[in-house]
Parts: sequence; structure tokens; C-alpha cells
Amino acid sequence: MENKTLRYLKYFFSHSSKTFWLLPTTLLTISILLIISLYLLNKDNSITISQNKNIEITPTQIRSIEDIGEWEFLAISDEELVDTLRKGFFGDSELVRIYYGTLRLGINLREAQPGWIRAGQDTIVATLPPIKLLDKDFIDEAKTRSFYESGSWNEQAREQLYQKAYNAMLRRCMTPSNIKSAQENAGRQFYHLLTSMGYDHVKIRFQNR
Amino acid sequence: MKNIAYMIFLAILLMSCGDKEKTAAKSYQLDTIPMMVLQIQKTSRLYTTEYHLHKIITHNDVKSITGKIFNQSFHIDLPVGKRKIAIPLDATLKAYVDFSNFTSKNIKKAGKKIEIILPDPHIVLTSTKINHQEVKQYVAITRSNFTDEELTSFENQGRTAIIKDIPSLDMIGIAKENAAKTLIPFIKQMGYAEEDITITFRKQFNLNDIEKLIDKTTIENGK
Repeated sequence: MENKTLRYLKYFFSHSSKTFWLLPTTLLTISILLIISLYLLNKDNSITISQNKNIEITPTQIRSIEDIGEWEFLAISDEELVDTLRKGFFGDSELVRIYYGTLRLGINLREAQPGWIRAGQDTIVATLPPIKLLDKDFIDEAKTRSFYESGSWNEQAREQLYQKAYNAMLRRCMTPSNIKSAQENAGRQFYHLLTSMGYDHVKIRFQNR
Repeated sequence: MKNIAYMIFLAILLMSCGDKEKTAAKSYQLDTIPMMVLQIQKTSRLYTTEYHLHKIITHNDVKSITGKIFNQSFHIDLPVGKRKIAIPLDATLKAYVDFSNFTSKNIKKAGKKIEIILPDPHIVLTSTKINHQEVKQYVAITRSNFTDEELTSFENQGRTAIIKDIPSLDMIGIAKENAAKTLIPFIKQMGYAEEDITITFRKQFNLNDIEKLIDKTTIENGK
């Protein structure tokens, strides 16, 4: 049986023409080359839907430059989580943001009375203006983080949230204890400054509010 | 023949899907906890100059398809409508001299003359405010409105852009002049004549120095 098959194969190979083998070999080679070239051409293929998330380049203008004389003695950095809720027929809408601000307590040297420093031989008396909030605008609104949003909100709602955060920071930071702490630090710092300038006896007072 | 063409097209599509840069599922974490945090710092800073800056933040949002096929890059804007927004932003910056480490070493006395060597001036961003009434936006009917997260992202980018502009605004020069203007009347009250008072700074500052003089809280906030 085995000999019969071998004889048959020998007969087939000896009698089949070279052209008969050329066609499938060529087709196989072309297919392999086609697959390899298609793979090489397409291995880096990618398609993505992109969206521009950056702002455009615009100039920064200086609106004004002011000469000031404010001495800060206490800086309170605060962050407030504020939210607003709107009841609706199809469900409630909510907007929650985190605001950041720094309240600076100190004195404004422009508010010092004439002769607020009286110096003698080795004695000096300084009467400082009262401690106050140095900046009316203390929120860094551009640093605000959006925490949660459902529904659509307009700019008026965002302005109201800002005011809410503003009042919350004022309530939390402008406390009598913080004002007292700023005043004590002011006394200490001025004492240190004036002794550094060579005065042995330094007296620090505050103007009445 | 037609079938072979379909098969080749299918093979190309399948290979396009094999994205090299696999987008791993990202979990976003805010660097803050949803509660109030208060930080109190005792300072001794003399603010001498206040700058009011204004910037209009603009954003033009166009959806587009970008990619690479047959080693050829392409970028096609999709005709799904535009979204545009302009946000006016006001910022206040202040220049200050820190007296926390001021000692007798900063003072030189020679007879009636006095020289005060001041620490380096610094610049801090004290506040930013969005003019909500003046915000203008256009959103095509086919697009969704700007989300609160997108708005805060644009505002934050505007803030960063202001900080980057600080070195080009020549603030330190004015801050030094104003520091002298504030301190001279103060020292005159101690009995020194104006011509006997000299206020000096450690050195002249170049552009690289100015970047270092921006208060670190301002830069941290910008990140």
C-alpha cells in the first residue's frame, strides 16, 4: 500500500510541469508581502475625536499701580465649600464649589496720625493705627474648584455663590481673637524693629477705633 | 475581486482599532477635602505697591478628528457647531518686603547717617475676581453648554497666564521705589534728616531672579 502511494507521488512530481507550481508559489508570496506591507503601513494608525481644552493667548493689561503702605501681621488662608440648590418639577439642581481666599490683617500706615512716632534719646513711642482687614477683595476666584453640578446654572448664580463664600470667610476669620492675635503680633514686630534700630526703650500703642 | 477588496478594507479598519496609546481608566482626585481648612500665619510684611491687572480669558471650542492612517497625519474640524466664551478677570497683585527676619544687621549707622538694607521684595497675587455680568458665551444649538468644571478650568488657566506675565511687567523696580517712599517718612519721624537716609536692596534683580521673587503661595495656587 505504502509503495503504491510513493510510486504515485513520484509519478506525479516527475510528470507535473514547473509552471504548475509557479502559480500557487507566486500567489502565496504576493499575499505574504501584501499582509506585511499592510501591517507596516497601518501599525501606527489611530483616530481620535479631540476637543480644544485650552484658552487662547490674550494680553494682560495693567489697569492701575498704587503706592500703598500696608503692614500685614496676620494672614488667614481659608477655603469654603458653598452650594446652592434649585427645586424643580423634574428634579432638583445643585451647584457646589470650593472657594479659596486669604484674609490679611494689619495696619495701614496712611491712617497713622501725624507724629505717630515720637523718638527721644533712647526711648521711642509708636502709636499704630487700628488693626483692620487690608484687602476688601480677598477671594482668589480664578482658583475656585467645581465640586458638583447638576442642572444648568447661569453667571448670576455663580456671583451669588461668590458672595456666599465671601460672607462665610468674613464670619469665620474676622473674629475678635484673630484681631487680637494680629494686634499682639504687630506690637511684637514693631518692638523688634525699633530695638533693631538702636532704641532701648520702646512703647507700642494703638489708636482707638 | 470585490470580496478581496472588502477583506482588505476590513483588515485596515481592524488594524486602526489597535490603538498604541491605550487610555487607562483614570481616577480623578481633587487635592482638597470637602470641608473648611483654615491656616493662620503670623507675618510682618510691608506691602508697598498694589497692581490691578485685567485679562479677558477667551476659549474657542471646535471638535475635530485627528489621527494617522497609512503613516499620514490628518486633522479635520467636525461641522458640529462651535462654542465660544470670553471671561473678564481682574487680579490684584501686591509687592511686599518681609520684615520677619529683619535684624540690626540690616541697619548701618554712621554719625547722623543711617542706611537700611532691605530684604528682597516679593510679589503675591492677593485676589482674583471674575466679572460675571460681563461673561459672554456662544454655544451652537448642536452643542452642550459649558459645564462648571470647564469654566473653572479656563479661569485657572487665565490665572496661571497672569502669573507667567509677572516678570515682564517690571513690578520689582516700582516696588523698590515705593518701599523707599514708605520707609523714608517713617525714619524721618525718628529724627533723621531725609538726606541722611539711604534705603538699599541686596542686589539688582534680573528676569530670572524675578521669577524667584513671586510668593510661593501664588505659584502653588497656580498649579
